[in-house]
Amino acid sequence: MKPAPFNYERPRDIASALSVMTGAEGTVKIIAGGQSLGPMLNLRLVAPDTILDITAIAELKRADVANGELTLGACVTHADIEDGRVPDVTGGAMQRVAADIAYRAVRNRGTIGGSLSHADPSADWVSSLTALGASLSLRSVRGIRRVAMKDFILGALESVIAPDELLEAVHVPARAASARWGYVKSCRKTGEFAHAIGAVLIDPEAGKARIVIGAVEAAPIVIDDTDALFGGTIDGAFASRFDARVADRLLSDAGIADATDRHIHVAVLRKAVAEAA
Amino acid sequence: MNTIELTVNKRSVQHAIEPRTSLADMMRDTLDLTGTHLGCEHGVCGACTILVDGVPTRSCITFATACDGADVTTIEGLDDDDIATELRAAFTREHALQCGYCTPGMLVSARDLVMRLPTADEQAIRIGMSGNLCRCTGYVGIVRAVTSVIEARRARAIAARPDAGRTVLGPAGSGHAACTASQKLAPVKPIAVDVPGAATPLTIPDFTPSTVMEQQFSVAHPPAKVYALFDDIAAVASCLPGATLTGTPRPERVDGAIKVKIGPISANFTGAARVERDEARLAGRIIGIGNDQRSRSTTQGEIRYRLLPENEGASTRVELAIGYSLTGMLAQVGRSGLVRDLAARLVSEFAGNLDRRLSGDTTSATSRAADLNGISLVFGLLRDRAARMLQRLSGRGDAT
Repeated sequence: MKPAPFNYERPRDIASALSVMTGAEGTVKIIAGGQSLGPMLNLRLVAPDTILDITAIAELKRADVANGELTLGACVTHADIEDGRVPDVTGGAMQRVAADIAYRAVRNRGTIGGSLSHADPSADWVSSLTALGASLSLRSVRGIRRVAMKDFILGALESVIAPDELLEAVHVPARAASARWGYVKSCRKTGEFAHAIGAVLIDPEAGKARIVIGAVEAAPIVIDDTDALFGGTIDGAFASRFDARVADRLLSDAGIADATDRHIHVAVLRKAVAEAA
Repeated sequence: MNTIELTVNKRSVQHAIEPRTSLADMMRDTLDLTGTHLGCEHGVCGACTILVDGVPTRSCITFATACDGADVTTIEGLDDDDIATELRAAFTREHALQCGYCTPGMLVSARDLVMRLPTADEQAIRIGMSGNLCRCTGYVGIVRAVTSVIEARRARAIAARPDAGRTVLGPAGSGHAACTASQKLAPVKPIAVDVPGAATPLTIPDFTPSTVMEQQFSVAHPPAKVYALFDDIAAVASCLPGATLTGTPRPERVDGAIKVKIGPISANFTGAARVERDEARLAGRIIGIGNDQRSRSTTQGEIRYRLLPENEGASTRVELAIGYSLTGMLAQVGRSGLVRDLAARLVSEFAGNLDRRLSGDTTSATSRAADLNGISLVFGLLRDRAARMLQRLSGRGDAT
């Protein structure tokens, strides 16, 4: 249960990190808190030639708000968000999500950027930041590109990050005062990876919603036609009009064949909607 | 090797260690601080929990090098700590331990909860302690002990510190001045041993698959022609993404390998298969076994097929049942869903390639099967989803 030997680099700035990624021989794997990669290295499921530790890069620990948008560097930890060491523009939504990730010892080292790069479909930030309408800055020697969370995950442990790219920052738009938030996950044991996630941001005044069904062992299901989920319109009485049949059909269409799995996902989504009401 | 400097239990220590050395191994093997226990070694059991820069961390999945310059406190360093002293008395009083294996980690997590929780709420204590597993005492005594210490301290007007006093951002242990130099360490690579067939068993045993997936599709060719293709082992293998053959395939033994990739995980299963055919029923079975040496995992798999005539024998319905079992480290990751998702993608790729191959499109089938690349599979999946979505939307007439 010890990792295979590797080279280790811990640059102090992003430019040096990018040059390691393009210049190193063999495979390079970026590590931040190592709470997902660490176990895989110990089990030797992953054996890169070089580990690139990005936690000495001060720029990746930034946390600031500009024009109502929160920007968090990739190395901000779940505990940093849970404890309110970073500003909040989501009315406490991110703080609540962070507080329920794994265990405190994991949250003290696990980072928001690491969790997203790992692209585990059951990870909390994957679903919650999609519902919150967040986007990501991906940096490479070619420049920076911005990718919306809804387009980021391709499948289980697969994202749009190219081999020479580094997830630099997460951008979260301010939540409208009228927008309601609900986030529920199902775990058989506290702190384990979720078996179902419902993340909803519903604005009854604007008549709009962003609704995500997560932890489906593939990219989260982002519901396009949210009105249909509430009988055609979204208003103040949305929770009482939640249509479980529509949610069940969306899950079937996404290839979830097992009726019990679908039932759990629908029940969790219903709870998230109720929490938002 | 690389020299790092830590403050361990208020004492400054310097040591040359390999980058792959965990903080837990450094404490135990280098500094003889064996109070830090190792249970699972992949961040699940909590026995190795120690304080780094004052907050609990999993020392088995934290590299010592990554904490260069940090302040580390192990169970040995908590002898004179107020909260730990009260907790030890409470653990004794409430019978919160028997074998003691989990106790160092329990005390570190309990101390953190006592510091951070405003009140002795049982639910919050149970959730807060859920990352530390006990396999003999059970949790009742532990929860009582933590409860009593929180109650006693709050009664003495000692306020909670919900952030445990941490003020800086980023992973605990990171970001110290001593860490900012880039360091390149001499590689110590094991000599790659790649002997084809080294791990291949002599006999290919029968087995009962733990997961079976069924697929069927039709091809516009008569059953006899399709059955002939199934006799061409190399052609069938070329339809299986990531599969390669070594040597000359014979029905009783086919040697080869299959490469799979899930995110950062890649495995190369080397093994052998045998082929059974039932000409009368136009059916058959390919059964194989393979090992991935690096992840020390074994997989067994079988493809059962049956060909049924359609359109008075002008075309064929191919029925496939693909089963597999997985043991070893890959299975131990405990996320069967991810493996199932991969297997489902693999099966649908295989069926598609077979279909194309039977339709005479040999080039695309072969090239598509070059490697089970996650991205290409995902695109395949997205394509399917997009197609389904279009079908769904086209009914309502707004396919935008």
